[in-house]
Amino acid sequence: MTVLGIEGTAWNLSASLVDDDEVLCEASSAYIPASGGIHPREAAQHVANNIAGVIRQVLSSTDPRLIEGVAFSQGPGLGPCLRIVGTAARALSLRLGVPLVGVNHCVAHIEVGRWKTDLVDPIVLYVSGANSQVLSYRQQRYRILGETLDIGIGNCLDKFARSAGLPHPGGPKVERLAQESRNYLPMPYVVKGMDFSFSGIVTAATEALKSASLEEICYSFQETAFSMLVEVSERALSQMDKSDLLLAGGVGANARLQEMLSVMCAQRGARFYAPKSEYLQDNGAMIAHTGLLMLRHGIQTAIACSGANPSFRPDEVEVPWIETH
Amino acid sequence: MGAEAVVALRGHSVVKKRIPKDYRIAELDTKLRRERTRLEAKIQSDARRAGVPTPILEAIDSFSITMERIEGPPVSSVMSEAVAEDIGAVLCALHSAGIVHGDPTTRNMILSAGKVYMIDFGLSSYDRSLEARGVDVHVFFQTLQATDDRFPALKDAFLAGYARNCSNAALILEKVNEIKERGRYL
Repeated sequence: MTVLGIEGTAWNLSASLVDDDEVLCEASSAYIPASGGIHPREAAQHVANNIAGVIRQVLSSTDPRLIEGVAFSQGPGLGPCLRIVGTAARALSLRLGVPLVGVNHCVAHIEVGRWKTDLVDPIVLYVSGANSQVLSYRQQRYRILGETLDIGIGNCLDKFARSAGLPHPGGPKVERLAQESRNYLPMPYVVKGMDFSFSGIVTAATEALKSASLEEICYSFQETAFSMLVEVSERALSQMDKSDLLLAGGVGANARLQEMLSVMCAQRGARFYAPKSEYLQDNGAMIAHTGLLMLRHGIQTAIACSGANPSFRPDEVEVPWIETH
Repeated sequence: MGAEAVVALRGHSVVKKRIPKDYRIAELDTKLRRERTRLEAKIQSDARRAGVPTPILEAIDSFSITMERIEGPPVSSVMSEAVAEDIGAVLCALHSAGIVHGDPTTRNMILSAGKVYMIDFGLSSYDRSLEARGVDVHVFFQTLQATDDRFPALKDAFLAGYARNCSNAALILEKVNEIKERGRYL
């Protein structure tokens, strides 16, 4: 089966063509804010200006008659972006005369990770700009075991980076600066069961700008925030009695976070997997691949039900394609 | 295998030792383990004094606590509406004593001689706010929902038990719903 997928929830507009075995083609157009963070209206403008181009690129790589389904990111994400992506997907599906399928962005991150690592039933740590969750599959759904009580880790890094005068996206810059220090400043460490909170770190780090070096703050920020994420991931492995951990989402590209997760897994005899960074960040292939799984299991989205869902939760999605024993 | 500590049985005692975590830098790791050990011991005995079934403390040092061994299964393996109701009553008693557990999962409660014992106070704190109590109940609901299909009935039973001695159960439930919404991408 060949499916075309379109991702456009926030910063990376991306279209991709996949079949059961591999990614056949992908075309992306990233929105890079001139200043400040992601502005929803500008992000949507970026999607509107570039969506025809990325779809055309993917269509020109194949005979459009071979496409058997159109998948799109239905949520969660920025409403103005999602609506444009949905409109394009509906038009394409009608034009090609093939089924339409609305995909949950978080589930797509998990599915592309499982696809690229061959994992069956891992604990998932999903960390991106707006989302930070620990999930586990059970009976046809990805269950959310724990999540941020306030902001996502990526937004937390970006927020601090903006107050420190670093350009968007802040995460990679904080990562680089953190490598320059080994001096730890205590920051609020908030874990409640498997839930966690990051807003206190942003406040503490911003406050520390008055008296400490940027390198020290970035180092302390990462060590504190990532230790919290690793701690809850370990608790989830323990609670669900699982031995595989999968990392998903754009913040997963951080080398220090990967290192900490891999050390934690090694210490308890678990296995750690992260797909390549092109499949950690937002990408069209994850939407196309998840759409393909859904279509293979008879799940389609009627036009009437294809509206944008900015607060779409992963546990709302039926997942019939995982076989555990 | 537990996530935080190594638990060893020694006769009628349990020794809970917080082991170093190699993924965390030493400063942070030592600080967290020391603080959690000390706080756990203090809160656990305060909870017991307030009438919440918890193991009796026998000894404590920097990173380990020795306590009475409670015989029985974790409530996760014997869950029923009656047990959920008892858990509600115990959590209400804890909250009334000004304590929140911080990690009230179904594996941190033991059913022994017909009583629900709360263990693992490692993430507890002294907190009387509705917010903290709401997070406690939210954490409990999440583990229940993630591991048990009878969740709706068990949730109702828990709330009935909680409301028996805590008149603010409705407010807490409202708070739990608010907390649930908060983590979402809006």
